[in-house]
Amino acid sequence: MPVSRRALVAAAVCLVLPLSACGSGGDDGGSTDASGKVEGDITFQTWNLRANFKPYFEGLIADFEKKYPGTQVKWVDQPAEGYADKISADAAGGTLPDVVNVSPDLVAPLAKAGLALDLDKAAGQYKKEYLEGAWASHRIPGMTGTYAFPWYLNTGPLFYNKSLFKKAGLDPDQPPRTYDELFADALRIARNSDGEVSTLANVPTVEDFGRYGVELMNPAGTAFAFNDTKGVQLLTKYKELYDAKALDPQALTATPESSGKKFLTEAVAMNPGSALDLGNFKKQAPSLYKNIGITDQITSTGHVNMYVMGVMVNAQSKRKPAAVAFAHYVTDAAHQMSFAKQVAIFPSTAGSLDDPYFTKEDGTDETRVRVAAAKSLKNAVNYTPVLFSEQMKTALRNEVAKALQGKESPKEALDNAVKACDTLLRQQG
Amino acid sequence: MLMPSTGPRTRTVRVRRQLPTSPWLFAAPGLLVIGAFILYPFMSTLVNAFTDRRTLIPGEFVGLANFRELLHDDMFWTGLRNSALYVLGVVPALVILPLLLALLVQKNIPGITFFRSAFYTPVVASIVVVGLIWVWLLDERGLVNALLETIGVGRVGFLSDQWLLLMSAMAVTVWKGLGYYMIIYLAALANVPRELHEAAAVDGAGAVRRFFTVTVPAVRSTMALVGALSSVAAFKVFSEVYLMAGPSGGPAGEDTTLVILVQRTGTGLTGRVGYASAISVVVFVVTVALMLLVLRADRRSEV
Repeated sequence: MPVSRRALVAAAVCLVLPLSACGSGGDDGGSTDASGKVEGDITFQTWNLRANFKPYFEGLIADFEKKYPGTQVKWVDQPAEGYADKISADAAGGTLPDVVNVSPDLVAPLAKAGLALDLDKAAGQYKKEYLEGAWASHRIPGMTGTYAFPWYLNTGPLFYNKSLFKKAGLDPDQPPRTYDELFADALRIARNSDGEVSTLANVPTVEDFGRYGVELMNPAGTAFAFNDTKGVQLLTKYKELYDAKALDPQALTATPESSGKKFLTEAVAMNPGSALDLGNFKKQAPSLYKNIGITDQITSTGHVNMYVMGVMVNAQSKRKPAAVAFAHYVTDAAHQMSFAKQVAIFPSTAGSLDDPYFTKEDGTDETRVRVAAAKSLKNAVNYTPVLFSEQMKTALRNEVAKALQGKESPKEALDNAVKACDTLLRQQG
Repeated sequence: MLMPSTGPRTRTVRVRRQLPTSPWLFAAPGLLVIGAFILYPFMSTLVNAFTDRRTLIPGEFVGLANFRELLHDDMFWTGLRNSALYVLGVVPALVILPLLLALLVQKNIPGITFFRSAFYTPVVASIVVVGLIWVWLLDERGLVNALLETIGVGRVGFLSDQWLLLMSAMAVTVWKGLGYYMIIYLAALANVPRELHEAAAVDGAGAVRRFFTVTVPAVRSTMALVGALSSVAAFKVFSEVYLMAGPSGGPAGEDTTLVILVQRTGTGLTGRVGYASAISVVVFVVTVALMLLVLRADRRSEV
């Protein structure tokens, strides 16, 4: 079969070229003035919510359009996978929706690029409706202003396998609460199972360092600091766990999905999750469900980690009054409360967590998880630094892996991780 | 003498008048697609490679700074090493094994259609599905390790050891590509005159001798094509390694390939588009060089 060289080179070009670049972002930050009549068509983008909450959002949008005649909200939902990529493509292409569901780490680069509206200026009158910490969660170090309305909060419980605890001679009703207790229990489980059962399936993340009491960044937010004595201490302990197989041998390449599966198959004894997982255990692993234990996240600071969702307004929206009004409508106390009754999330509005819905148990696991989570949320901290990008997460993960494999000492690994993250921080501008 | 030449000349003039528009019109849809989705992004990548552009921030011209940074970036060298190893590991297997498979299924024996379809099935299967299945099989507690444990070998860390992980990904690439290249070889083998085999057999050549003296020379160009296509695909490998080694590219990122590095560096809201473009340019140059190398080797062997 004769093949011409030109044809093959052309084929190579076709195969290789699609490593394309993105379009440009805009320089124009837009005005922060959102006063004026609430009218016009706006687009609202959510993050993987259509599949389970379609009727809720359709009702919410219909009510808003009824309250503000002349407005029309187009709802788009994006899958969880690749959400940041979708936003960056839209932002770079100038097609970012008017109102966007974001998390603090997503809003930071958008705010820096002038694409997120400063709500301290445009919607400061609503600030008092939200918990102070929640409102502050969308502030960016080095910038003034707040760049998204706080929406729902969450703090996943930690699930553990009571049967595996019992087999290792541990009290299944006394799960570890601090990192020191966790390390002791994990080593015991590994020893008693001859390395067959690991307690953890994931390497420590930046949130683990935060909950261990490590200072993650300097006070000005201009450099990372998790290579201090406490950070080195945490990584040294994890190395001990890894060597004893108390940390799963595949933890270095684990994803949340793979570690979830290991917990389901009872290969690991503890795994973080959400209240939604209970139904999953019941359906997919009935024997595990019978032995499931639920406890708070491990923390040595007394504060668990809080995940914050927000709703930002596109600073370049042509319908800012409508966009701000809708973003506030989605996140106001009444709507956050009704959304919380649809799914196990927690409102970020002031006083909502004191509602009996979040304080009274009815004896079921669901309410037990809900009440416990709402209680721990009251003094929870969002440990994920707003400026901690995906590239930084990878840099930390890779250095942690080198320390666990013994290729670098914990101190060297953390020094390198901090150096890499600082470089990436400078490159962010 | 003059009369016959007048006719054709008139026709030639008419054809020439039609030339400028018709062919271009026919080619226009294809050219538009190529222009919009291949040439424009390519030119854009080339330009970006010389800037410090980020996803949301237009960059400034930085000359060769990105390429100089590449030289000092350990992860780039890891990626280059892994992509090169992938070519070395995968290409010989994908040139030879599908040829042997094609020879096997070429025979018209009862039930052979089933085997032809079975060998081709991995080609049409989604790479994500295939990747996940192999991850389950090679897991520390997966089927393969259970079998190894049964026969007393003990568990092997296919997905936790840097080198075993890379080799496992190569095995999946070879397994998935066998059927595709087998079809190409089947087409080439159909063109090998049966008389050549018969003549060789009459001269006393056995099956192995006939393979090397009749089959291989007859499909040599196809082997070059398969070599070129599979080396390009192997150097650009992404899905298999990404699915099996995870987004971080294996333990401590040691299984990162160049295209995974492009994805990790250049995507997301804080992506370094300029730097990722510089890596893409390197991938392009190496791929074209590989292609030319294979073709030159083929041309030399023809001489």
